Amino acid sequence: MTTLSELEVQGDCQRLRQCWETSATFAFLPEKLSVDRGWIEQGLSRLPDSMRQGHYVLLTSGTTGAPKLVVGQRARSEQLAAMLHRQQEGEPVEETVVVLPLSYSYAFVNQWLWSYCHQRRLSLTPGLKDPAGLQRVLLASRQAMICLVGVQVPLLASYFQGQSFPGIIRVHFAGGRFPQEQLPVIRALFPRATIFNNYGCAEALPRLTLRKAEAAAEANDIGCPLPGVELATNEATELQFRSPYGAVGLIEAGSFSPLPSAAWVKTGDLAQPTEHGSWRLLGRSSEVFKRHGEKISLAMLMTTINGTWAGQAVFYRERDAQGEEGHVLVLAPTPTAEQLQGILLSLRRSHGRAHWPLRIEAVAELPLLPNGKPDAQGAAILPGKTRLWNQRI
Amino acid sequence: MENREKLKKMLEEVFLLQPGEFRFDLRRDEVETWDSFGVVSLAVGIQEIFGYHCTPAEAAGIKSVGDLIRLLTAKGFDFEH
Repeated sequence: MTTLSELEVQGDCQRLRQCWETSATFAFLPEKLSVDRGWIEQGLSRLPDSMRQGHYVLLTSGTTGAPKLVVGQRARSEQLAAMLHRQQEGEPVEETVVVLPLSYSYAFVNQWLWSYCHQRRLSLTPGLKDPAGLQRVLLASRQAMICLVGVQVPLLASYFQGQSFPGIIRVHFAGGRFPQEQLPVIRALFPRATIFNNYGCAEALPRLTLRKAEAAAEANDIGCPLPGVELATNEATELQFRSPYGAVGLIEAGSFSPLPSAAWVKTGDLAQPTEHGSWRLLGRSSEVFKRHGEKISLAMLMTTINGTWAGQAVFYRERDAQGEEGHVLVLAPTPTAEQLQGILLSLRRSHGRAHWPLRIEAVAELPLLPNGKPDAQGAAILPGKTRLWNQRI
Repeated sequence: MENREKLKKMLEEVFLLQPGEFRFDLRRDEVETWDSFGVVSLAVGIQEIFGYHCTPAEAAGIKSVGDLIRLLTAKGFDFEH
């Protein structure tokens, strides 16, 4: 099977277009692989014969860090790109600026496939690795769309302080918490843009819901399902979906699992419907746990933190001295004493002690996953962290 | 650092007190974060800062900053200077 590395499409997507237009299924892989080639080859060999034509395969590590290959059907993804074009008011958009890895399903479908299907210009950039290069592209953009993850906002604000990019008319966020509290910063950077919160997961390849930034006041509101997409929760409030655009199979731990259209697939998040028909995330299944008998939602806590702290933040899990599940907050960069007081005050005002982190630590910069999200596991083992506060429990 | 200053800093951290909120005559019933878990945190803080291991009964019996100073004074800590 053809495997194409992101390294091979830098500056020119001709090879990617060829692969898409050739009937044989191909795999599009990140520049830096989190697994070895043997793992990829063994995984791809598990693909059933029925999916060796007209499909494509992406590698995802997700937030759990467990790698998996996601199998998409090209026709379904093209239908999704067409539907997104309508829902995201894409017609006036002439160009899309890529700052995320193109092999990331969000960038792949929302940007590369959208630009391919609608014959719009695709501007590849090195992203935030080269702020000056990105700045040139953003300044030169006209009627452009950009896809970001929330964690990039503080970096953009820091690199491009006092500047604005009126050529960007659509800003999309996905792949993590929507930066609702930083909307003034985003609007200052992109004063002509309509801002969207997109929600999905790798198994959805990748979109499930959409909302305009101003349609809700809280970051955890992910909006309403896209046309054709169904959402539901089970008794444990785990969010599940059925989508005519979703992945058709997964390869993980050396075996292939089909994802039939009629099957409900878990997104990995907990959620509840709102009274307005939208959905509210309660956190990752792995980020909600009991501590001293109380249900702790790291997503809700992060909302509190982001209400007063504009820098980067991530929680990692740790047991306290009594063996009880707990969590540690890591901030970047190091806050001032006043900022730390503000964070502590917001915790005290909004949450009981069981919800407070065991410690607050700081580093100059958080480690990031390949998809741009803060790496909680990496933050846990990062050397040189400064301890700012300790709950002493 | 003098013991009074160490004590103030520890209590501010343990109970998330804001600057200006701390007083040496502060009572437990005035601090909503001085709850049952707060008592555990206080005991750990006393051990960490003053090296004195509070029994659970002693920690639970502290009803004010004044009580804490009296307890530590009885264990030989000086809060006069």
